[in-house]
Amino acid sequence: MSWAWLDLADNEPARGTLCTAVRDAAGEPAGWLAAWRRRARPTRTALRVFDAILDEHGAPAAISLTLPPPGVRVAFDDVAVQQARRTILANPPWDAVSTLLSDASHFEGAVVVARGDDAVRRLADDPFARIFPARVLLVDGELLGRIAPPAGPTIERYGSAEPWPSDRFA
Amino acid sequence: MSLQPGERFPDLELPDHSGSPRSLRELVAGDPAILHFYRGWWCPKEQAFLRRLVALQDELEVAYVRIVSVSVDAPQTSAALRAGLGARWTFLSDADRTWQTRLKLRETTDTVHDPYVPAVFTLFPDRLIHSAYDGYWTLGRPTNEELRIDLRTIQSQIRADWHAPAA
Repeated sequence: MSWAWLDLADNEPARGTLCTAVRDAAGEPAGWLAAWRRRARPTRTALRVFDAILDEHGAPAAISLTLPPPGVRVAFDDVAVQQARRTILANPPWDAVSTLLSDASHFEGAVVVARGDDAVRRLADDPFARIFPARVLLVDGELLGRIAPPAGPTIERYGSAEPWPSDRFA
Repeated sequence: MSLQPGERFPDLELPDHSGSPRSLRELVAGDPAILHFYRGWWCPKEQAFLRRLVALQDELEVAYVRIVSVSVDAPQTSAALRAGLGARWTFLSDADRTWQTRLKLRETTDTVHDPYVPAVFTLFPDRLIHSAYDGYWTLGRPTNEELRIDLRTIQSQIRADWHAPAA
């Protein structure tokens, strides 16, 4: 299985999860970002995320978390989603990227991870933020890692239930 | 080192255009691949061939095929060339010429740049060489149609469902 579950929760989740505190760009507490490596969906709002971006030893990071308004989602093969994936491949690489989804055919958000002095500024150009609203958040360590950039030019998923850029057939 | 069809291409380990260490094995990762060695950003013939690959990438992006380009350009130079072209695949940098020597792909007639000799290989997912093209002369390089035919041949041999299950 190359995907896990990710959720932004108001309260600290129960044990058995990867979990870290989250602040907004102004430094105010913004909840908890949690991940679960299991098959069953852990919360009503959790979404599938590319498992490789999770790292319990990961350093603190800034993220752009794109999520659709309630009740809204678009097809994963929508041209806007395709173009965002192309832009991710074409531009300087991020520390990690994953689309978020709950089924085989819809795009339901994305998480883009950056580190460094200009991370928050760079994340303002998150290509997925052109599709749905995005929040730039500051994440404590021990959740998100750094992975090699996706090998292009493929923008398709390897199995329709896989978050991109998962690069193996399931 | 033999780089003929039927031989397995060595598992190159080089920094990519972002400076991240990469291996050819990881980049090919179970898909057919075009492995492309070029002289450098400065060569008009390379620019012309790279533009052809850029035209092909819109087709290959949905075909589960990889492209990897290798030169002696530094990572930041490769990144600039890649951005200028609009390329969306990985460029590897052999600025130290470590693999150039081992692969015996040094172009001996250019003592100024000491570049790779232009060459293109189409690979099976396990890096077995399907075709090898000597690109020293521009017309020695594969056309996009030749690349399509190579990749179709490889795909037809590795995809168990190449013939669509239909009733």
